[in-house]
Amino acid sequence: MLDGSFSTVGVIAIVLMFISLVILLGPIFARGFGAFVFKGTVEYRKLMLDKFGRGDRERIIAEVAGAAKTREPVYELMEQFRVELKEKDYDYRSRYGQPFKELEELVEDLFGPAPGSSMPVLVRGQYGQTRWDRANVKLGNILFIEEYDYSDSSKMGELVLVPRADLFAGTSLEPLFRLLESDIEKMMRPRTTVYWRFLFDGSYDSHFFGGIWPELLGTFYLAIGAMLFAVPLGVITAIYLAEYAGDSRFVSLLRTCISSLAGVPSIVFGLFGLAFFINAIHVSPSKSVLAGSFTLALLVLPTVIRASEEAIKAVPRSYKEGAMSLGAGKWRTVVTVILPAALPGILTSIIISLGRAAGETAPIIFTAAVSVGKPLALWETMSQPTPALPWNIYNLATEHEAVDEIRHVQYGMVVTLIVLVLLLNITAIVLRARISKKLRG
Amino acid sequence: MFKFKSTIATTIGLMLILSFAWSGAFAESYRIIIDGSTTVGPIAKAFAEYYMAKHPDVSVTVSESGSGNGAKSLINGVCDIADMSRFMKNKEFAAAVEKGIMPVAHVVAMDGIAIIVHPSNPIKSLTVQQVRDIYMGKIKNWKELGGPNVEIVMISRDTNSGTYETFEKLVMSKKKIHEKSEYVGSNGAIRQRVQSTKAAMGYVGLGFVDRSVKALEIDGVMPEASTIVSGVYPIARPLFMFTNGYPKLGSHIFSFITLYLTPKGQEIVEEIGFIPVTRY
Repeated sequence: MLDGSFSTVGVIAIVLMFISLVILLGPIFARGFGAFVFKGTVEYRKLMLDKFGRGDRERIIAEVAGAAKTREPVYELMEQFRVELKEKDYDYRSRYGQPFKELEELVEDLFGPAPGSSMPVLVRGQYGQTRWDRANVKLGNILFIEEYDYSDSSKMGELVLVPRADLFAGTSLEPLFRLLESDIEKMMRPRTTVYWRFLFDGSYDSHFFGGIWPELLGTFYLAIGAMLFAVPLGVITAIYLAEYAGDSRFVSLLRTCISSLAGVPSIVFGLFGLAFFINAIHVSPSKSVLAGSFTLALLVLPTVIRASEEAIKAVPRSYKEGAMSLGAGKWRTVVTVILPAALPGILTSIIISLGRAAGETAPIIFTAAVSVGKPLALWETMSQPTPALPWNIYNLATEHEAVDEIRHVQYGMVVTLIVLVLLLNITAIVLRARISKKLRG
Repeated sequence: MFKFKSTIATTIGLMLILSFAWSGAFAESYRIIIDGSTTVGPIAKAFAEYYMAKHPDVSVTVSESGSGNGAKSLINGVCDIADMSRFMKNKEFAAAVEKGIMPVAHVVAMDGIAIIVHPSNPIKSLTVQQVRDIYMGKIKNWKELGGPNVEIVMISRDTNSGTYETFEKLVMSKKKIHEKSEYVGSNGAIRQRVQSTKAAMGYVGLGFVDRSVKALEIDGVMPEASTIVSGVYPIARPLFMFTNGYPKLGSHIFSFITLYLTPKGQEIVEEIGFIPVTRY
């Protein structure tokens, strides 16, 4: 009876966890997928050709020319209206001048700079919308004006979409809106695009275009760097604590300290890293991957120490006694018998910590992470800061000046980070299983 | 057992090689490290991108951690350029000089602090006095300003921010912001908070105003290029980049910091939504 109800509760718990996992990860993956596979417009292919030299030059140029031809009537209508505006009287000009200027800006947003106008300096201004979903949003902005109806003074205004065509009703510009609505596909030529290079491209114009290679590389450097410092230190400490330290008061105090270190909030480590590694002992002239790695190493050190210690302690006493009785010294016993037997446990702790180091934001804000930077060469990590996935996700989510335009990049980064950590954990599980099997065999 | 030994040996060997490679001193590219204001951030990022495209051998990194942090980084000698949306304080100057750092200010753009609300908010215009009263907690409800009966949610920048300091000086006249105000860490975060909360009110640099929020007229003046340059808009300020001493003529930092004087630089400032210092 008790057994039965217990297992029911267990099953329910597992099902609940699975559902919440799906609810949590589902949208993340679905949206993140959009960074890699989406409908790219002709502007996207033009950008790729210009900036990365990708694609069939002849075909893209022909396609761009084709799209430009279908856009011609739009620009003709606008030019015609511009002339009309000049000829008409003051009232007409003051009525349509401002709305027309706004419309011009919106069309530029959608299609990029009008033919014959000067090229903007920022890359974001040089191209129209590269993604079909964004192009539709921009088209919506052209077709409809978002107005608010404030007539009910007891509450906030209600959103009303007013067709922009109404504003220009009776002018020569009126057909423009119908034309845009019906021909937008010919003008933008959306096509399903797989952009796997999103992972390996640098970013253009602070993440407006391009990929996330500097961030990905920076995350790798930081995580691996943290391990380079944390693993030797951690494992040696664990060996000391488990095999040499004995059971004095001092040692138990030490253990308590290490355990409490594991509970310190990560931002405290970040500030400590800034104050100690950068401002006090100057490991690098500025923020750097090195300083960030040190800080992350401190963060994961308690985990590595405790897990490795447990793994070493879990090695059966008979192994040790056997080695000792065969005449091996203590050091020899540790290196040749105990460590290999404890290896699965130690490896697990290392790889779990690696995942943690890759995903931490707070420790690297002040010690290593920047919003914009080049991908670093290995030797530059000693002195230079780097963009890194966790920090740039935060940056793109809150600080970036054009958050809404580049959501897909942010989602792509999130998915990349999650997959990265997931892969690390799966590696841990597989590695552990293989080594345990070998140990038994 | 033998297999394990070799695995361990390979792992250790690999780690050694990696750590050697890590510490290996190779020729490094010239680098410019920028830290500071989230308001100046977009300008610095765009300048960085532009400069690196022109000089592939130079690496420019930009962090956006707030004006206060920018000043601290410059004082501690860990950045080359500190972006600041306010002038340095006496204390910061003193601390810098003590450490042998001579901060030099470069005004890279003009900015107005726009007071923003959700577009569904019927309020169009406020006076500086009213904004102050809202943030002091004297005016609590939009009703008192002629709006609907909804409590005002005020959003402010954190105290590390230069925008906060300017706001405190020009709007609050050093009066304390009410404790019910929410504090967030960047211009972008304020905009997001306002665009998702109908009753919210916040303040951001001009470059962060877009169609998702509504900027209010202050004392009857809209924050836009002409009113800010002429000094009519009451909450305006210059945006700074600080260097340690005036950079050596002809150096990369010199060309970078004078970028805002070139036509291209001013175009960038304008495209991002701020106001160039001179009318080119």
